[in-house]
Amino acid sequence: MLRLENINKKLGNFRLSDIDLDIPEGGYFVLLGRSGSGKTQMLELIAGLNEPDSGKIWVDNEDVTKKKIQDRNIGLVFQDYAIFPNMTVYGNIAYSLHCRKLEKKEIQTRVKKMSEELNIESLLNRFTNNLSGGELQRVALARTLITSPKVLLLDEPLASIDASLKDDIRRIFRQLNRKGLTIVHVTHDYREAVSLAKSVGVIHNGHIIQVGPPAEVFRKPVNKFVARYSGIRNFFRVKFFRDNGAWKAQSDGSLTFVMKDDSYPREGLMIIRGDAIRIHSSEPLNPPVNCFKGRVTEIFPSEYGMEITVDAGERFYVDLSAENFKLLHINELSEVWITFPPEAGIALQGTG
Amino acid sequence: MIKNNPFNWIMLFLASLVLLFILAPLAGMFLHTGGAEFMETVNDKEVQESIWLTLWVAFAATFIFAIGSVPLAWLLARKNFPLKKIVQGIIDLPVVLPHTAAGLAVLGFISRDGFLGKAADAVGLTLINNPAGIALAMAFVSVPFLINSARDGFAAVPERLEKAALTLGASRPRVFFTVSLPIAWRSIMTGFVMMFARGMSEFGAVVIVAYHPMIAPVLIYERFSSFGLNYARPASVLFILVALTVFILLRLIPVRKKETQILPDAEA
Repeated sequence: MLRLENINKKLGNFRLSDIDLDIPEGGYFVLLGRSGSGKTQMLELIAGLNEPDSGKIWVDNEDVTKKKIQDRNIGLVFQDYAIFPNMTVYGNIAYSLHCRKLEKKEIQTRVKKMSEELNIESLLNRFTNNLSGGELQRVALARTLITSPKVLLLDEPLASIDASLKDDIRRIFRQLNRKGLTIVHVTHDYREAVSLAKSVGVIHNGHIIQVGPPAEVFRKPVNKFVARYSGIRNFFRVKFFRDNGAWKAQSDGSLTFVMKDDSYPREGLMIIRGDAIRIHSSEPLNPPVNCFKGRVTEIFPSEYGMEITVDAGERFYVDLSAENFKLLHINELSEVWITFPPEAGIALQGTG
Repeated sequence: MIKNNPFNWIMLFLASLVLLFILAPLAGMFLHTGGAEFMETVNDKEVQESIWLTLWVAFAATFIFAIGSVPLAWLLARKNFPLKKIVQGIIDLPVVLPHTAAGLAVLGFISRDGFLGKAADAVGLTLINNPAGIALAMAFVSVPFLINSARDGFAAVPERLEKAALTLGASRPRVFFTVSLPIAWRSIMTGFVMMFARGMSEFGAVVIVAYHPMIAPVLIYERFSSFGLNYARPASVLFILVALTVFILLRLIPVRKKETQILPDAEA
């Protein structure tokens, strides 16, 4: 459906390099990256606002690399929406239809239908400077969707929306995708990828460093950068070794972790997701292989419950649900035991 | 509301001095003009014609030069090209030139030996001592105000709005006329009014190009140098009142009733 073939583009001191992507029809691809990593530039290349120095862009098996922006039929919803402040909501949504010189009646009908679909029909006669982030996002979506694009590009679409409205907008994206619309969504927030993506890519310094289904990318990040991006905060520099038929990892802080059977480099990083670690307020009766005694140093509320920091010779960051936290009856300085199964440890080569 | 503290009082005092400096001479001029002599000036055909000439020539100069100045402002705001900074410097040049020198420069250009003068001569038009020459002199010293204000207006239009319009299928001219121009309109209008005002009040450059027909500033000077302050004052008062009225009317032109909020371009 959408294919990027060895795309290279130099923009000032920044370079997008060797971008290869293949997104199937009806795919939902989330590109994760920091601000300035090249996400927006990539969307602008796909939309035709910039032309690559080399490489090809294919849409529906058609090479659109040299095709004019106006003829590509690719919708782009900008970060901060780029709503025209000199027009009403109606004017914004009808803009593309005026460009196509449709009959006035036809424009009215289509704008009405689209505004009903996105639940903004009551806003049509309003100017846009007093609309909320969620309303602006709906207007921006309506304005783009009314062109019936083959591919919808979303640039940080949830970045400027109140948390309470994000679910509504996510639902709209899911519905659109379910109807068969191919979506490319760029963001710096891995949680958006978790909740929406069928496939995920991570871009860093203009280079895509990992692509795959979300479960694979987040469970098996190829390096520390991707791991950080997938929300992992437990990183331990370790030496891997085999002992009594089992693979183990010795950390700089002298903890020894038991790993699942696999092949490991001599040294590298061992990472663990915060939600894979359990906390016990008393010593487990049948302690699993990875069980360490420590002391709680910090407790913070987090988006998904509580984040507990435990010093057990190494610093562990543990994510707990609010309910589980309540059951534990722990507070800062409490003595606790942390456990995790061998398969929770993920090995990375190198320490960078 | 200004809060009652020493710093605010010092600032207020200094600000008042400047305001007084602007208002006192004008107030003095108004107070020294008697009603009878003012009415006599109002009915003076020469004064009427002079003020009318000043207004329409300044407006025509502004309007005609806006046709080229707005595209130039857009190019300066949106495009990078070789020697852009030099072009910007050239645009600002008339503002820093002594206006008599500017008048001499225009005179050289429109006299029969000059490039434009020769061309006009070929179609039977003499630019010197002609409203067209006056318009050129006014425009020469005032067009930077329009170009700079319009350039700032275009530069303040977030580029992503123009990009959004392109992705929605708009052609480049359509993007310009439906997005860039309307959003920059307020700044363009401000520049328009500033250019008109500057052109209307020009004396130095105009007097060299055309003593006759007399625009109001030349007429005031002529009355002052020939008959003295008392004779020139009523004409000045009348010209100021007319100019004020025109500016108030121009400012009342609805740019757009609604205040538009324009966000800066998002970070890439």
